Amino acid sequence: MSNGGDCRYVIHQNAYIKLVLHALNHKTSAVNGVLLGRLSGEVVEITESVPLFHSSQIGLLPPLEIALITIEEYYSSQGLSIVGYFHANERFDDLELGSVARNIADHIHRYFPQSAVLLLDNRKLGALRNKKDAAPIMQLYTRDSSKSWKQVESTGTSRLTTKEPSANIVLLDFISSNKWSDIVDFDDHLDDISKDWLNSGLFK
Amino acid sequence: MVSKTEESQLRQLENQVENGGGGAWEYLSLVRKLKLRRSDKVLNHGLTLLNDPKKRSALGPDEWTLYEQVAIAALDCQCLDVAKDCIKVLQKKFPDSKRVGRLEAMLLEAKGSWAEAEKAYTSLLEDNALDQVISMRKVAMAKARGDILGAIDSLNKYLEIFMADHDAWRELAEIYLSLQMYKQAAFCYEELILAQPTIPLHHLAYAEVLYTIGGLENLQTAKKYYASTIELTGGKNTRALYGICLCTSAIAQLTKGKNNEDKEISRLAAASLEKDYKQISPDKVSLLGSALKIMKLQ
Repeated sequence: MSNGGDCRYVIHQNAYIKLVLHALNHKTSAVNGVLLGRLSGEVVEITESVPLFHSSQIGLLPPLEIALITIEEYYSSQGLSIVGYFHANERFDDLELGSVARNIADHIHRYFPQSAVLLLDNRKLGALRNKKDAAPIMQLYTRDSSKSWKQVESTGTSRLTTKEPSANIVLLDFISSNKWSDIVDFDDHLDDISKDWLNSGLFK
Repeated sequence: MVSKTEESQLRQLENQVENGGGGAWEYLSLVRKLKLRRSDKVLNHGLTLLNDPKKRSALGPDEWTLYEQVAIAALDCQCLDVAKDCIKVLQKKFPDSKRVGRLEAMLLEAKGSWAEAEKAYTSLLEDNALDQVISMRKVAMAKARGDILGAIDSLNKYLEIFMADHDAWRELAEIYLSLQMYKQAAFCYEELILAQPTIPLHHLAYAEVLYTIGGLENLQTAKKYYASTIELTGGKNTRALYGICLCTSAIAQLTKGKNNEDKEISRLAAASLEKDYKQISPDKVSLLGSALKIMKLQ
């Protein structure tokens, strides 16, 4: 298999929640993050995530290069590689995968051809309290042979699922306790290196 | 932009207020002075103050400023009813006020009634064409509607008149960055450096954009601006230190290592980073070491 055409993507609860909480911590700007994991047969298991940047830092190359070098170095010792990219747009109703996101995703794709892009769906996030849906509140994009990122429609059997079916319930719980204010991203680390971008204490 | 002392002052007040230690009015005044966006906290604490008649009358004439501040915070948090109530109070006290008229237009904006808000702002501008806040609102509306190119257009026109508005230049630069229009973003930072040459953040932002554009000349210039950032911050800027290392590595790659003069400054930068991490973030020191090794080899 040479592309993401047929893969399924399973995201672990902690990785999933971290990304959404990061977006909630910076409600007035775009945020992004990397997905880490491994390929097991036809499934890409996303076991970890690292929140990267918020606001205009997203379009700049130097912080991104530092982050990717550092993150890859850290997780390769655990047998994990960068398997995808997460993005949340600045505006509530913006569900387009912009050029910055696509460019970063292309770069990641070069190293991991089955990589996925996850785009936060704000409407689904807003509706979470009322709908009690188990499906992840993100849109999945993969890159097919046409070399462009296409959204994978979530009809029938979804190609993106959370490993733990109760992930959204746990997420809602964290949201109501304002857990998002504890999230540290790579941006925060570069401003103050005492801040831990691994968020090791987050889920304890 | 907020200085470090102001930032720690703000954090201290914020913690105090959040934990019931009082000082709400001082906190709200500081937020107003620094023009920060802390809408959920402003709404929470501001409303508490306003709903207490004793505290409210103790504010004297500042009461109306607080109503305005809470109204804007409420709009930002989509608590439109709270905003409407505050605006009504202000309308009663200051009928025919342009400042209240602005709030009414902002309410229309928050509701998503773009056309009506546009009309309201245009008519307010007719009486006062040089009102900066209203001109800015039109840019903000364009941005909120997703009309980014329109926002750029309006912002450029705004800057033709108010060219000393540094926040506007930064906003324009950030919009350009989001569209990957790096050369245009660089131009904005150049204007900012000319206007405020001792502000390290402008030097840093300029360096980062130049690196992003790439090419040997830009990398060399970026390195200079990372260096000036380090100078202006007394060597305390992590991003600039990393930046020097990245530039050296990228230049070496482009010139196939034939350019040898750069290495000393990057050695100093790397050493400084190692020292900082050892002191402040020791668990990440070995990771830093590996990253620096990769950059030198790249």
